[in-house]
Amino acid sequence: MQPKLQDPPAATTYEAAATRLGLRRITTVRDELRREAGRELERPLRQAAAVAVLRNPWLDEGLEGDLGPATERIAPILGKLLSDRLIQALGGVEHIEAFGKAALVGLDGELEHAGALIHTPYFGNIVRELLEGTSVLCFADGRSTAGADLRVPLWHKTHATSRKHYQTMDVHLADAPRADEICVIAAASDGPRPFPRIGDRSTDRPITTEILEGLLS
Amino acid sequence: MNIRKITTLTEEITSEGGHPVDPPARVVVVAAVIENPWKGQGFVEDLTEGIDAVASDLGAELAPRVMEALGTELEAYGKAAIVGLDGEVEHGSALIHTLKFGNHFRDAAKASTLLPAVEKRAAAGAVFDIPLKHFTDATIRSHHQTLEFRVADAPHPDEILVALAAAAQGRPQQRLAPLSTEA
Repeated sequence: MQPKLQDPPAATTYEAAATRLGLRRITTVRDELRREAGRELERPLRQAAAVAVLRNPWLDEGLEGDLGPATERIAPILGKLLSDRLIQALGGVEHIEAFGKAALVGLDGELEHAGALIHTPYFGNIVRELLEGTSVLCFADGRSTAGADLRVPLWHKTHATSRKHYQTMDVHLADAPRADEICVIAAASDGPRPFPRIGDRSTDRPITTEILEGLLS
Repeated sequence: MNIRKITTLTEEITSEGGHPVDPPARVVVVAAVIENPWKGQGFVEDLTEGIDAVASDLGAELAPRVMEALGTELEAYGKAAIVGLDGEVEHGSALIHTLKFGNHFRDAAKASTLLPAVEKRAAAGAVFDIPLKHFTDATIRSHHQTLEFRVADAPHPDEILVALAAAAQGRPQQRLAPLSTEA
């Protein structure tokens, strides 16, 4: 168990407020993909993920504890900190086309702890509003040892069925989550997959299991 | 020089060992994934041509990006070359162990020491550690630090991943006595 935070700084910024609430680190990753399959993209695809690593506030609570109060204190601040970093990494909110979220809880915590920090409006509504989206945020969650690699799913922030925007971003977490920590992640990208060419709902013909009959020779 | 991808990592450490880090410690990496300039050529005795074609341009591409990502004065730095499975470690070393590459970073950072480095051959998605040391005096113990990094789909067998790392300070909560005080 890590020691509880000593002498936290006064909370005049959201970073300081989060540190008081157990934040250890924020990691931001940006991928800029210029070429795919040997061909240059018309414009590079930029994906970004921002990760907050913080102390799990519910380790001593058990199944009877109320997850609400800590969620209401912590999740909005994480939503703000992570959204700010995505906007900066992608050069402005107007460039953000797709978004997603994820949470990984360390081995001493419950899956429900990860869910508490991302699956309520206290996180989702903040991220959605700051990234100027309307879609439900797609997500991944789980429990993991430190050194996790996870794929964060993304889809279009206002048109969740836009197939060409279905994509994921790989995030490597090095020394997190420790057993008593939670990693909360928001991710965004500034465009569709490179060279998308698998159609869309508007171009699909009706498909049912009847097509299986034609697939045996 | 054929760059497929550039990945930037920024770490802001706000607490360590249960104590706040104020201001937050800032460490960054910028990595470019490029085609191995000696791809498909077998054993090339003289690597000069490939070095001349790539090393300086690559340094010029990465140095301003890592300084921008750091966003403040640099105090420690390091570099890395991870060669895809079809290449030689010598190919990665060729690109980063030349002044043509490193001087772009040294000049941008107003640094004077050699850049500590990791160079190895690995499959795509390999996790590696980049060592960082103080930018003007490599014996300053507070600034010895390491950053773990990975790009999920790189390097491909015919690629090289080249990275620069920078820190705005030493280790968070560093509290070892200076080397000179040791008996």
